[in-house]
Amino acid sequence: MMHFVKIAHSAPRLAVVAIAGLGLAGCFDNGGDPKVQIGANPVLPPLQQYLVPPIRIAKVVPWGKETPTAPQGMQVQALATGFEHPRQLYVLPNGDVLVVEANGPEAPINRPKDLVMIWAQWLAGAAAKGGNRITLLRDTKGDGTFDQRTVFLDHLNSPFGVALVGQDFYVANTDAIVRYPYKEGQTSITAPGTKLTDLPGGPIDHHWTKSLLASPDGSKLYVGVGSNSNITENGIQAEYERAAIWEVDRASGAHRIFASGLRNPTGLAWEPETSKLWAVVNERDEIGPDLVPDYLTSVQDGGFYGWPYSYYGQHLDPRVRPQRPDLVAKAIAPDYALSSHVAPLGVVMTAGTGLPASYRSGAFVSEHGSWDRSPLNGYKVVFVPFSGGRPSGQAQDVVTGFLDANNHARGRPVGMAVDRSGGLLIADDLANIVWRVSSKGSEPQHDSSESR
Amino acid sequence: MTITSRSIPDRMDLPFRGEPIHPTLASFPIAYFTAAFVTDLAYWRTAAVQWEIFSDWLITAGLVMSGFAVIAFVIDLVRGKRSPPLAWPHAIGYALAVLLSLLNAFVHSRDGYTAVVPTGLTLSGLVVVILLITGWAGRAQIARRREGADL
Repeated sequence: MMHFVKIAHSAPRLAVVAIAGLGLAGCFDNGGDPKVQIGANPVLPPLQQYLVPPIRIAKVVPWGKETPTAPQGMQVQALATGFEHPRQLYVLPNGDVLVVEANGPEAPINRPKDLVMIWAQWLAGAAAKGGNRITLLRDTKGDGTFDQRTVFLDHLNSPFGVALVGQDFYVANTDAIVRYPYKEGQTSITAPGTKLTDLPGGPIDHHWTKSLLASPDGSKLYVGVGSNSNITENGIQAEYERAAIWEVDRASGAHRIFASGLRNPTGLAWEPETSKLWAVVNERDEIGPDLVPDYLTSVQDGGFYGWPYSYYGQHLDPRVRPQRPDLVAKAIAPDYALSSHVAPLGVVMTAGTGLPASYRSGAFVSEHGSWDRSPLNGYKVVFVPFSGGRPSGQAQDVVTGFLDANNHARGRPVGMAVDRSGGLLIADDLANIVWRVSSKGSEPQHDSSESR
Repeated sequence: MTITSRSIPDRMDLPFRGEPIHPTLASFPIAYFTAAFVTDLAYWRTAAVQWEIFSDWLITAGLVMSGFAVIAFVIDLVRGKRSPPLAWPHAIGYALAVLLSLLNAFVHSRDGYTAVVPTGLTLSGLVVVILLITGWAGRAQIARRREGADL
């Protein structure tokens, strides 16, 4: 950035620098050690601006006979395979597992750059068509194998978050929350849905996923609504009621903005000790391989977390006009950085699961993996230990191996859920598999690898 | 720059047989790049994104058309239709403007305000200045040569 500002004031040198700039157009800086950006006080380098948007896509390869890996004492198995872009998981009270299969609506081409981005998504295997449906998996024998599979709900519109409150089953489509009647044991819903409220959807719909979480008493629904751009390049008008967590009244459908300035809050969870709302958030791109770290944070009622004007409190983003010093002044720095461009898409707060005791208190975060950073970052599920309702240590890798030894992507983790026997379920939207992570010997042994 | 027909063509394809193609194509990017400077100015004053989007497409269209112009120039060379004689200040200035516009397309691919201010706007303005100066210089040279030929 600095040398370009200088160019602006020394036109005669421009031609020389321009040619040099073209020569450099193919390269970009490598990111540093992500570890210094994990925790409450991430190291934030000065921002830089690119000539060419950095794209670093991992080549897609199949899992073959292999699975993701977990630390000693745990095992990873494929629960079920052959989905159409599985993004979110939900466990019903009777133990049935719901798999939300979806991808974003077709993105409009507003700028020449969008053509490049569409190509990059295709290259990353992220352009696969979503099923726009929810599949139900049932373990009829109680032996840990999910032997029955039905289409639970079909013909949805880019669904992501789901929640059951009593007999009301809610689906957060990209443009609306829809309620369906559900009775325990049901394997498919054919009744028409009732719209509870509209959500910000098309025509741009840059961040299309709408995460959903019901309040413990069931009276409210919390909805994570992502921004409509990387950094307001589609205009600030397009961001109306976006980059926010909505609180929707379940009875009336009325909503208010619970918290804002959260660029893309893709996962919501209640912290069990304090009953506070937490979220994982995807921060902005294209100002460096180590900016801006994605994060896990408690969400305060009425809190503003910076986007688009600033990040991590008062770090200004020069790409936003007009600026808002009034908002920047009250921007809250998030609680826990996960490092840059890891793309956290799921969070699960534990409360006594079937995993080893060291995972009893804390947050599992699924990191979908970077596409604009070198070296690659994320592509794993990490565990952030909590004590007293706050993060209490360094994030640990739990499920890895989504990248192979050659840095080729075999899978990418998205939504997670804890199943009835305490195993951690992970949706892999690249390989179209749902993985199950559990303690070794904690349940009847079975081998589901044959089904693959 | 301009095509001067010496006789009325009696068939539709005659102008293409008789005249070089590239000067016609080469005039498109000049219009696009100049328009991009205007939309950059509008964005700078308003910060309304539609102006930045206009600039993006105008610069891209200019680059695509200059690519066609280069192809046409090569075809004209092969066909031996390189008339009027190439005006070198014009050609060099034009090439520089296209290269700077390529750089400018990358700058404009950034998200938000810094896609235009200050670097993108500066480059757009510089391209217009180069096109004006070299356009005038090239035309003057062609005019001198024509006068020389007439003598």
